[in-house]
Amino acid sequence: MTETSMHAFEIRDYLRKELMPHFMCPGCGHGIALRALLWALYELDIDKNNLAIVSGIGCSGRVGAYIDANTMHVNHGRPLAYATGLKLARPDLEVIVITGDGDCLAIGGNHLIHACRRNLNLTCIMLNNEIYGMTGGQVSPTTTVDRFTTTTPFGNHEPGFDSCKLAAAAGAGLVGREITLQVPALKNLIKEGITHPGFAFLEVISDCTEIYGRKNELGESPEMMLSQKASTRSDVYGNSVDQPFRPNAFETGVLTRNDRPEYADAYKQHMGRIMAASN
Amino acid sequence: MSTSTSAAVKREARLDTAVAEPTNVLIVGVGGQGVITVSKILAQLCLQNKLKVKQSEIHGMAKRGGAVFSHVRFGSEVYSPTIPLGQADILLALEWAEGLRWLSYLNPDSGTFISDTQMIIPPFSCRDRERGATSNYVHRTLDQVKQHVPNAFAVDATGMATELGNPRTANTVLLGMLSTALDFTVEDWQAIIAQSVPPKTLQVNQKAFVLGREWIQSDKHIAAREHVEEATPPAAPMVDNVVVDLEITEAWCKGCDICVKMCPERCLVLNSNEIVELTDPDACTGCRLCEWLCPDFAIAVHVQKIETTVAEHR
Repeated sequence: MTETSMHAFEIRDYLRKELMPHFMCPGCGHGIALRALLWALYELDIDKNNLAIVSGIGCSGRVGAYIDANTMHVNHGRPLAYATGLKLARPDLEVIVITGDGDCLAIGGNHLIHACRRNLNLTCIMLNNEIYGMTGGQVSPTTTVDRFTTTTPFGNHEPGFDSCKLAAAAGAGLVGREITLQVPALKNLIKEGITHPGFAFLEVISDCTEIYGRKNELGESPEMMLSQKASTRSDVYGNSVDQPFRPNAFETGVLTRNDRPEYADAYKQHMGRIMAASN
Repeated sequence: MSTSTSAAVKREARLDTAVAEPTNVLIVGVGGQGVITVSKILAQLCLQNKLKVKQSEIHGMAKRGGAVFSHVRFGSEVYSPTIPLGQADILLALEWAEGLRWLSYLNPDSGTFISDTQMIIPPFSCRDRERGATSNYVHRTLDQVKQHVPNAFAVDATGMATELGNPRTANTVLLGMLSTALDFTVEDWQAIIAQSVPPKTLQVNQKAFVLGREWIQSDKHIAAREHVEEATPPAAPMVDNVVVDLEITEAWCKGCDICVKMCPERCLVLNSNEIVELTDPDACTGCRLCEWLCPDFAIAVHVQKIETTVAEHR
């Protein structure tokens, strides 16, 4: 990363300025994730006209609307289904899905595992803030045990998903996780996901200060971000000595690479064989 | 003598003690330097002189190399354990950048600033640097400090202590300087130092104390001004090398406080409208942390690099 290219990155070139300031609450980590995505797009030199952003419903779904590119804001839980159709019809487009923990793992859980199984060349960025923020703070599939939400007034007793393990087991080509505090690392991870020829599932651990943080007394966003950092372990230190002391720490960085055939190629070959046979 | 008059006398006496403001000494430095030890010595000295003392410190995030500070307040009566902003009588800094960070605590009319010119450069100010580039360390000079406070002393205490034979006595050199600003006798100081240091190092510590005391009392600090200016961390390379311009879009800022709390130089604040404001442009090193972490894209850091070769820096 050189100073000159960093200097030239102007986030405003990628934003729909007439919609700014965005609707997210003060301190919401989704904005930081959006910056990292736009920075990655800048560094990969992706033309905005060849870029399609598909996003679902929720706070995360609204993130896509602020990007000055081709964007689709679709049904709850279905951005991966729309993106699959879009990518197969227009393989020349760079398709990126922005989704949230509820959108991706609960309402769209089935679409996620089948998108992972097909391994189509998409990038799925899941912004995980452990809550349904937009609708008033209901429990989500990633809410930590014993945390309070409006639907778990006595604490959440359900264990959460480890979405990265889920995606890896379902066959996603590349699986990674990063926190919003590590902006350059997050940008590099997104770059890696976009360039990966296959389905890339990236979990971004974001913070919901206003609804989740306040109800659980987790502090304001700086405190939440620092505690996220304390509860994660970078892949750089994968085998370091502190591993035994933090058995429950989330790992960050690129976690899994599955070397599997890409769906669009396989589909094209399959169709070719059928056409040849029918001729 | 009626009871009512004695009560009035008592009340007056109480008022007297309430009026008597404590002396405030703020000691700052970096983890591992001995900030706590220095403040302990001062607090013990006050106790032996039958004064009320309150000492409070933050060293939780220090480890080795983190910021540490200690408030020492003493007088006939002390209520709060912490020094209010702008009320410290003396700021004793064991490290140059830490001293500059705490300048706002110093009384702007009567405060005394005493700092070692030793630089302990934190790792994050070296990150992403090109080979041979200068660090993002603060680049203010003693003259700039003097614009804030009337009495400012910068001294190469570590260098003086090294000449004595033990660089670890730098804090004692600084204590010697501090002693000139407080009303305790030299004998008391020497006795408390003798109690606090390892017996092996007693002699060199006593020498260090005298050296520090003499340095301020004599005109040495005026005569040695050039030496001090030399010892003051270099201003030129940084200023010539990088020009930082912080662009804040006020309409986009939601006052979430992330940048204020994450800024390593603490040069940002939220103003009365809950909008971020750059209060200390000199302290900004252009590290871009605020720009990266702003969820609302309200901050843009423009770092202009002026081409100079490494050879020119030296």
